[in-house]
Amino acid sequence: MNLNVTKLMGWLAALTLVAGMVMGFGVAPRETTQGNVQRIMYLHVPTAWVAYLAFGVVLAASIAYLARRRAGADRLAHASAEVGVVFTGLTIAAGSIWGKPTWGTWWTWDARLTSVAILFVMYLGYLLLRGMIDDQERAARYCAVLGIVAALDVPLVHFSVYWWRTLHQPPSVLKPGAATMPPAILAALLVNVVAFTLLYVYFVAKRVRLLRAESEALA
Amino acid sequence: MADHWNFVAAAYGLAILVLGGYWRRLVRKERELMIAGDQRSRQRSISGHPRSEPASRHPLP
Amino acid sequence: MAWKDLLVERRSKETLNSLLFFSLALLFVFQFALDADRERLSAVLPGLLWLAFILSGMLGLGRVFLVERENDCWEGLLLAPGDKSAIYLGKLAGSLALMFVVEAMVLALFALFFNVDLAPVLPPLIMVIALGTVGFAAMGTLFAALTAQARARELLFPVLLLPVLVPVLLGTVKATEAVLLHEPLAEVAHWLKLLVAADVIYVVAGLLTFDFILEG
Repeated sequence: MNLNVTKLMGWLAALTLVAGMVMGFGVAPRETTQGNVQRIMYLHVPTAWVAYLAFGVVLAASIAYLARRRAGADRLAHASAEVGVVFTGLTIAAGSIWGKPTWGTWWTWDARLTSVAILFVMYLGYLLLRGMIDDQERAARYCAVLGIVAALDVPLVHFSVYWWRTLHQPPSVLKPGAATMPPAILAALLVNVVAFTLLYVYFVAKRVRLLRAESEALA
Repeated sequence: MADHWNFVAAAYGLAILVLGGYWRRLVRKERELMIAGDQRSRQRSISGHPRSEPASRHPLP
Repeated sequence: MAWKDLLVERRSKETLNSLLFFSLALLFVFQFALDADRERLSAVLPGLLWLAFILSGMLGLGRVFLVERENDCWEGLLLAPGDKSAIYLGKLAGSLALMFVVEAMVLALFALFFNVDLAPVLPPLIMVIALGTVGFAAMGTLFAALTAQARARELLFPVLLLPVLVPVLLGTVKATEAVLLHEPLAEVAHWLKLLVAADVIYVVAGLLTFDFILEG
C-alpha cells in the first residue's frame, strides 16, 4: 500500500473509532441486566473479531507464500501476526476486566476466553519462531507452515473447548447471543467493529511498509 | 446493579495505552528507518561525487 | 527410517532410561501430594496419567532430530531422494514406538503404586491412549523439525506444541476418565470423534507440509 493510501486509512480509522466511541457511550442505551459495564462489549467484541480476522490473513498469506514465494506475502503474514497478537492480548484483558464485575472472577475457563487464550499462545509461538530462526528464507518458509497448521487448529480448539464447557453445564453460564440485541446496541457494535477493522488494516499496512524498508536496509 | 464505570475506564484506558503505544512504536521505527535511509543515500552521493556543490557538502556524521 | 531411529535409540538407552526415571519421579511427587486421599486421587488420575505421558513425551520428542542436528546430518535429510513425507512417517513411527513403550511403563507403574485394577478396561484404555498419542506425536514430530535449528529450541517447542495439543488432550483425558470409571465408550463418542478427526488432520498436515520444511 503506498504512503498516501496508508495515511488515508489512518485517518479513516481514527474517524470511525471516534464515531464508535460516540455510539458506544452516547447513542447506545444502558443495558438492563448488566448496567453500564456492558459497554466494554463495544471494545471487546471488535478486538476479538480482529484477532480472528488477523489469523485468517496469516493463513491466507502463508498459503500464498508457500505457493508463490513472494516476499510480500511473507511480510503480510508477519505483520498480521504481530498486529494480531496485540489485538488478541487486548481481547483477553478487556474480557477479563468485563468478567470481574459481571461474573465475579478475573478468569473463567469458559469456551470463548479459553479459545482466545490459546489463540494468543499460537500468535506468540509464530512470532517467537520467526525471531529464533536466523536464516530469513527458512524463517519465512517455516512460519508459513506454522501459520497454516495453527489456523487449522483454531476450529478444532474452538469445538473441543466449546464441547468441554457446554455439555454438562447449564447454558445460563454462557453470554447471551446476538439474536435479541436491541437495534441501538447492535448499531453501536457494528460501527465499532468497522472502526477496529480499519485500525487493523492501517496497522498492518504500516507494519508491512516497515518490514519492506527494513529488508531493503539490510540489502 | 452498580455501573462499575471504573472497570469500563480501565478496559478502554488499557486499549488506548496499548494501541496508542503500538502506533507510536510503528511511527518511531518508520522515522528511524527514513533517517537511516537518508544518511545512506547522502553518504553514497558524497562518496560518488567529490565535486558536489559546496553548500551541500556536509561533514560525515 | 523408523527402524534406523529405533536402532539408534536402542543403542543409546539414555532416552528410555531418562524417561523412565522421569516417570518414576512424577509418580512419587503425585503420591506425596495426594497421599491418603483416595477419592481425589481417582478423580484426577486421568489427568495425572496424561501429565506423565505428555511430560515424558516432550522429552522424547525434543530429541527426534537430535541425531541429525548434532552430527550435522541435516543436509542428508534434505538430499534424500523421494518424497520427504516418507521421512515424516518414519520419524512419526519412531516417536510413536518410543511413546508407546514409555506409556506402557508409566501405566504399569501407576496401576501398581496407586492400586488401580486396569485389567477389565484394558482394551478401550489402550485404544483411547493410542488415539491421543498419535495426535501428540504427529504434531510433536512436525514441530520438532520446525524447531530443530532454531535458537531457544527448548522454550520454543513446548510453546508451539501446547495450542495444538489442546483438542487432543481434552478428548483423550475425557475419554480416559470415562474408561477408568468403567463407563461405556458410547458415552464419550463425541470426544472419540474429535480425537479421530484431530489425528487425521494432524497427520495429513504433517505429511503435506514436511516437503516445505525439508527444502533447506
